[in-house]
Amino acid sequence: MKLKEVDRTAMQAWSPAQQHPIYLATGTSAQQLDATFSTSASLEIFELDLADPSLDMKSCATFSSSHRYHKLLWGPHSMASAERVSGVLLAGGENGSVILYDPAKIIAGDKEVILAQKDKHTGPVRALDVNMFQTNLVASGANESEIYIWDLNNFATPMTPGAKTQPLEDVSCLAWNRQVQHILASASPSGRATVWDLRKNEPIIKVSDHNNRMHCSGLAWHPDVATQMVLASEDDRLPVIQMWDLRFASSPLRVLESHTRGVLAIAWSMADSELLLSCGKDAKILCSNPNTGEVLYELPTNTQWCFDIQWCPRNPSVLSAASFDGRISVYSIMGGSMDGLRQKQADQLSSSFGNLDPFGTGQPLPPLQLPQQAAPQSMVLPLKKPPKWIRRPVGASFSFGGKLVTFENPKAQQPGLEQQQCHLVYVSQVVTEKEFLARSNQLQEAVQSEGFVSYCQEKVDMAQTDFEKNVWAFLKVNFEEDSRGKYLELLGYRKDELKKKISSTLKKNLLADGDLGEAPAGSDEAVLNDGDKGLATEEQLLGEGLKDHKKETEDLGPAKKTFNISVSGDVDGLLSQALLTGDFEGAVELCLYDNRMADAIILAIAGGRDLLARTQRKYFAQMQSKITRLITAVVMKNWKEIVQSCDLQNWREALAAVLTYARPDEFAALCDLLGSRLESEGDSLLQTQACLCYICAGNVEKLVACWTKAQDGNSPLALQDLIEKVVILRRAVQLTQAVDPNAVGALLAEKMSQYANLLAAQGSIAAALTFLPANTNQPNIVLLRDRLCRAQEELPGAQQPLKAATERQPVPKGRAGPGAGQLQGTQPPAQQYYQQVRIAPTVTTWSNKTPTALPSHPSAGCPSDTQGDNPPPAGFIVPAALSPAVPAQQAPASGYSLYSQAGARPAYPQRPQNGWNDPPALNRAAKKKVPDNFQPPVPITSPIMNPLADAQCPLQQPAAPAPLLGTPGFQPPQLLPGPPGQGGFSPAAQPPGPCILPPAASKPSTEGAPGAPIGNAIQHVQALPTEKITKKPIPEEHLVLKTTFEALIQRCLLSASDPQTKRKLDDANKRLEFLYDKLREQTLSPAILSGLHSMVKSIEGRNYQEGLNIHTHIVSTSNFSETSAFMPVLKVVLTQANKLGV
Amino acid sequence: HEGPVWQVAWAHPMYGNILASCSYDRKVIVWKEESGTWEKTYEYTGHDSSVNSVCWAPHDYGLILACGSSDGAISLLSYTGDGQWEVKKISNAHTIGCNAVSWAPAVVPGSLIEQPSGQKPNYIKRFASGGCDNLVKIWKEEDGQWKEEQKLEAHSDWVRDVAWAPSIGLPTSTIASCSQDGRVFIWSCDDASGNSWSPKLLHKFNDVVWHVSWSITANILAVSGGDNKVTLWKESVDGLWACISDVNKGQGGVSAAAEGQQRQ
Repeated sequence: MKLKEVDRTAMQAWSPAQQHPIYLATGTSAQQLDATFSTSASLEIFELDLADPSLDMKSCATFSSSHRYHKLLWGPHSMASAERVSGVLLAGGENGSVILYDPAKIIAGDKEVILAQKDKHTGPVRALDVNMFQTNLVASGANESEIYIWDLNNFATPMTPGAKTQPLEDVSCLAWNRQVQHILASASPSGRATVWDLRKNEPIIKVSDHNNRMHCSGLAWHPDVATQMVLASEDDRLPVIQMWDLRFASSPLRVLESHTRGVLAIAWSMADSELLLSCGKDAKILCSNPNTGEVLYELPTNTQWCFDIQWCPRNPSVLSAASFDGRISVYSIMGGSMDGLRQKQADQLSSSFGNLDPFGTGQPLPPLQLPQQAAPQSMVLPLKKPPKWIRRPVGASFSFGGKLVTFENPKAQQPGLEQQQCHLVYVSQVVTEKEFLARSNQLQEAVQSEGFVSYCQEKVDMAQTDFEKNVWAFLKVNFEEDSRGKYLELLGYRKDELKKKISSTLKKNLLADGDLGEAPAGSDEAVLNDGDKGLATEEQLLGEGLKDHKKETEDLGPAKKTFNISVSGDVDGLLSQALLTGDFEGAVELCLYDNRMADAIILAIAGGRDLLARTQRKYFAQMQSKITRLITAVVMKNWKEIVQSCDLQNWREALAAVLTYARPDEFAALCDLLGSRLESEGDSLLQTQACLCYICAGNVEKLVACWTKAQDGNSPLALQDLIEKVVILRRAVQLTQAVDPNAVGALLAEKMSQYANLLAAQGSIAAALTFLPANTNQPNIVLLRDRLCRAQEELPGAQQPLKAATERQPVPKGRAGPGAGQLQGTQPPAQQYYQQVRIAPTVTTWSNKTPTALPSHPSAGCPSDTQGDNPPPAGFIVPAALSPAVPAQQAPASGYSLYSQAGARPAYPQRPQNGWNDPPALNRAAKKKVPDNFQPPVPITSPIMNPLADAQCPLQQPAAPAPLLGTPGFQPPQLLPGPPGQGGFSPAAQPPGPCILPPAASKPSTEGAPGAPIGNAIQHVQALPTEKITKKPIPEEHLVLKTTFEALIQRCLLSASDPQTKRKLDDANKRLEFLYDKLREQTLSPAILSGLHSMVKSIEGRNYQEGLNIHTHIVSTSNFSETSAFMPVLKVVLTQANKLGV
Repeated sequence: HEGPVWQVAWAHPMYGNILASCSYDRKVIVWKEESGTWEKTYEYTGHDSSVNSVCWAPHDYGLILACGSSDGAISLLSYTGDGQWEVKKISNAHTIGCNAVSWAPAVVPGSLIEQPSGQKPNYIKRFASGGCDNLVKIWKEEDGQWKEEQKLEAHSDWVRDVAWAPSIGLPTSTIASCSQDGRVFIWSCDDASGNSWSPKLLHKFNDVVWHVSWSITANILAVSGGDNKVTLWKESVDGLWACISDVNKGQGGVSAAAEGQQRQ
């Protein structure tokens, strides 16, 4: 594609590769006359401005010269040293002159632009070349075999490469070798080429064709191969380009015969040695691969011959050609449309006319048909082979999960050998945050192993700051017994130490009192103090003395002695009178009036509750000491007051007070309140302390907010700091408070997803998944989850079941619910089903098993789902009101097939507990992915469904009891997500067979989905007959647990009136089966077992409150995953029993 | 394809398994996987020269593919449904060739960080391109037309690659560009209008820099150069870019292990 053109009949030279911007120098040609027959000469410099879409070249400078030129050459001499910023422009003149110009000066418009001039040659200087290795060396050639080597640093006297060749002839071309710096080649029109070795100062080889008809117009060395060069012939009888290898100099290596008439000029691309330009008298400009002879490209030109052609050294796809019609054209070898240019012209035109749509649509002026558009040349094909410079030799791309994909092309030693090289693609994991990852791993380990206490302790030990230490200590307390007491200790209040302090203080006082002769009061004082310890404690720790007590005791002390009752008119007297008349109120008033506070209180106690309260209020109204408000709060139980109005510097004390006194139900709120105050009012130091309050309160969301405000949360480690705390606190909260473990607030969700993002970026895909909030609809989190799942090479929905399957398959864990372990080996999925729905062909090993040989007990799972994605098909009636006592019944085969079509699904194992922030039970995502149109190979006895957790479970007996248990290579079918309700099931395909009623079929199953969280109304209940067979008995010593719990539930059921409660209890009854399983498998820890037994004892004693306390204790001290499946159920039962009073 | 394939690009998975490829044969082909086999769903032959780069727009915009070609034009192919593609062509986007295109992340004007949910956000679509005219250009869609919004000049030779950094929620736009001249520039623009871009030289390499790629979190830049070396760069807190690693022959990387090797 033509880029630019200049109407000059001129020699041309591109600026060197180092020069930016790109210039093209033109000098009036000595050989051709332009149309004006002008004899004036000029040297011009144009800039190649590709940003300008017009065809005009931007003229930078014109210098009127006294010379006309045979050759122009722009060398980079002195550019590196910045002595000549634009290098040196060399010109070969008519009368043996070699002229040096400073192009920078020409561009600047200087008058003195000639650096040097020597007229040492004979005749016109037609050949010039700069040595690539020593850019100060220039070779020049003229008539009579004259070759000079000029040193631009010392231009005065040139050297010669050796003795002149004989016979004397013109030197038409010169070229320095491109690999070996002391080798120079020269060629003459006679067809002979000579290679000179400048170290030897003599010609080393002469290349000559036998037919002697070569008329050398061009000479070029191979850019890569030192011994190869090409010679072009101008002779129309031999319009060839010969490729020679000096090692076989007897005949040309290759002859390119693409031109039909003599070749006028050649240029070999420095950027790609497979591109050789040639122009000839056939008016063609060809680009050939001299290594193969193939013509790769023919430039679209006019009919004029070109006498000079040059690659642009800097822009490898640009070349310029000078033609005899007095024009220098700049082309791109990359093809492209001429239409673009015409389009542009049309655009310019149309924009001048204010016409529509000059941009972008591609068809700005639809009515206008450009005349040239019909011409076939309007589109120019690019080079047949992609030039080397657009092949990327190397590349690196980041992908999700911190993966870096890189490739490289080994540098080819020999051209043409590239194809044999093997190309490697590497995938690397980029990890930049090692510490972050290490800490994240620690956190996950702690979560998985539930070693929270030791984790926190470690953090405490490693903490750099006191605050950090505090925070971790607070977090740790959450997992310990007597957390409030420990909190107090952390705030600096130790009960036992305090006791010691108090008693020592009292002893001191006693001693002092003794000195004063008031020893007898001692015993009473002690008693009093014991009784009023709490108050005293507070006073002591807040640095106030025991003044009040002393006063009281002192007053009491003398009271034991004999006394006389004064009834005089002073206060004492009046008081005595009031007391004697029983007027407590008056007496109290008197005491208060006389500021005898203790007397007043003592009297008020005697005067009854109302009076006491009033007196207290008055007392507090009068007293103004610092401690009063604390006492007020303690007595009035008004902790809100303290929290709301205490000096924030005393937050520690306020928190301590709340920890000591607040009721469980108000405790969290009070802590929150204090935290909020600290956060909103305090200085930055106090703001951070608010975190401690939130930790006490268990308020994860606020902790996140506060932390984010206080800390710089941008760096990964800062985020890690936060997440560690949040995760631990959430676990603590889950243990102690009955909250939905999935509840995640917006801010926390954002932080968690940030964290997950970071983990993912470091390559911890699995970890990222576990930290990602599970129950959010935030699009970015959903996206991230999806992406993470993909990164795990699993489809998003199938991910959980797959994980469960792969992790659980090898060893069925004892913890598994209804026969999850056994199931895996015995599920006989029908082969055809999977072929219909599967997406990835991954499951193959089991498919050739004969279905009938397999034991058949696909579970008839409950199809009801609030999501509504598995609606029962028409004709299928959900027996929602069926009572659980209805025995399993043998259903007609047709009924079964309907059912199985609707919702029968293979039981799938429970998800492992490592997804710590996920519900322990089967979640909906997992459900959805279970194949719904599962076809049972063998009929099943009783298709009883279980719509809302209280329906019956189908019980089936395998036709052949588990002969293929543990079929090797079996993979659970839930690997394959199938859209629910997908067709493909055919009732007719169901193999007929007798329905076998299991022995236990008359009894409703009590199995429930393992560990389903309470509050989730949908229980996916599955019952499997195989499990019945393989179940072990409950150890005798623990049988009492089962009987007691069952009896309790029965009692509750009898006295419960509303159906909702009944349903709850029914559900509980079923779900306790999980506990019994654990008992059977003997996997419960002794601590839990003993706890359960004491719970049973309290149930036997009808003391359900105590039972609940024990329950709380068990939950707070045991492993969450161990108890999560049944402890909530027990709580429900106990609460109900307590409520119903059974 | 009938020539070397220069680049492939995955569409967002929400559209299915879709891959776009561009080749020296002047074609852009969109491939789609249907039931396990890959099929050509669309072939675009509107370029007159090698198509060097393809890049899918952020998924929020729909299926839009930008293609940069050696013919200097950039084509924007938008899927309009029913197997139809709409073509918009920017002619002469980069004289003698466009080497790379890269979309800006989807950002809503006025609310660079948070966007109100509910109504469909009014995105401003932008992408960057780099070409043989040594320029990086930023293009913006206005009233359905693509207009040159900015011309970023700093390179003194072909711009080989541009990479618009993923959005990390900050109101800053960042573009990395690399060039034949061995320089890698980081362009950043802090103002929402997108008009004031300032370059920062990451490094001047001794060889051509072919490729730049941002990590997903936009904090690491992988730079691949003609010396067959891949280096990773990270911006420090004080805004200086530092090389954190050489990834040499895939075995390097920051504690990186070659996980897999395969023949190209």
